[in-house]
Amino acid sequence: MSTPAPYSYRRILRRETHSSRAVPAITVAVAVILLCAYAGTEIVLMMLNRRALLAAPQDMLTTLGTLGSAPVAAPVTIGILLMLAGILLLIGALTPGRRARHQIPSGRAAVVVDNEVIASALARQAAHAGNANPDNTVVSVSAHRAIVHLTPTSGTPVQSDAIKEAVQQQLAAFELYPPVRASVVIAAAGKVGS
Amino acid sequence: MNNTNRALNRAVVIVIGLLTLLAGAALAAIATVAAVRTDYRKEAPAAHADLSGWFKAVPLFGTGTSWGWILILAALVLIVVLLLVFIFRQGHGHHDILLREDATPSGATVIDADVAQQAIQHDLDGRPELLASHVSTYDVRGTPVLKVSVTCRRGESPRRATQLVENTLTALDTLLGRQIPALIQISGGFRARLSRRTRVAGTARAR
Repeated sequence: MSTPAPYSYRRILRRETHSSRAVPAITVAVAVILLCAYAGTEIVLMMLNRRALLAAPQDMLTTLGTLGSAPVAAPVTIGILLMLAGILLLIGALTPGRRARHQIPSGRAAVVVDNEVIASALARQAAHAGNANPDNTVVSVSAHRAIVHLTPTSGTPVQSDAIKEAVQQQLAAFELYPPVRASVVIAAAGKVGS
Repeated sequence: MNNTNRALNRAVVIVIGLLTLLAGAALAAIATVAAVRTDYRKEAPAAHADLSGWFKAVPLFGTGTSWGWILILAALVLIVVLLLVFIFRQGHGHHDILLREDATPSGATVIDADVAQQAIQHDLDGRPELLASHVSTYDVRGTPVLKVSVTCRRGESPRRATQLVENTLTALDTLLGRQIPALIQISGGFRARLSRRTRVAGTARAR
């Protein structure tokens, strides 16, 4: 058996934990294609001396040329909407776009876990430690935090420390990257018969 | 895992976003900023006249239209084609060959990606902790890389799932005599949400 060459998972892990921005890119491309198709149709119709769909290209240019003396309401509205769309696109393009996933260290492979799976594992653990029904345990996991909301069963005492301990122990065992800190919130009022 | 050009995706969004922003800002400025409006009123008709003059200067035979429009049409078609190429370039990167051994006097060895895919899947399908698994092979910068995606049962520890898949991969390593780089993706998803919490069909407490 040949010695396995160390393989760097850096690129793969980065790509698996960040969005590819394919959705905004494709949306924008489709929008531009539609716009081009419309402009092309108007030009062809004009060259064939047919009636325009909305406005003939020359009329559009004329409107653009006389914009300085046209009423302001429409240009302002359209302008502000365009600016808004542009800003949203720029934000989308320039933010890192982290996906709801974490890495788990492994000797054999690169591992990414959906936050959802982490949350559901923590919920089971917390419910077990708190003698509560897992269905009354809601866990939300974000990049750096896990918040456990637990509604105790009426009549069953709940040790908040024990729950916290259990959740923290499990999180430590997961060795998530980026690391996640847990907090436990226990509802004041219990639920009957769960 | 696929070889989508992410920098290009972002670049396209940035360029179109900037253009949209600038067009919007220009429209709003012409309508509201007095100085810009005056200037525009002064300059725009001349520019418009120049443009119309240029269209008239390049007539398309006797048809009453202009080569200018043909040029613009060609530019539009070019943009559309480029964008279509861009759209269909997304994704891709699947690979059919897992391993290719250099030829020896007795011949060459090629191992199909299906071998690993079916071996891993068969091994994982029997695991009660996992609801589903899917194995595919990608070509990541010239190296075949296995992608093992598994769907966990609700409440299952991802650490445990990782271990299961790792064991399977180690068995495959022994089988092949090589270590293929692998990515393990653990997800919950719709099926996990619908599935039972535990895999023991217990004489459950009454609810």
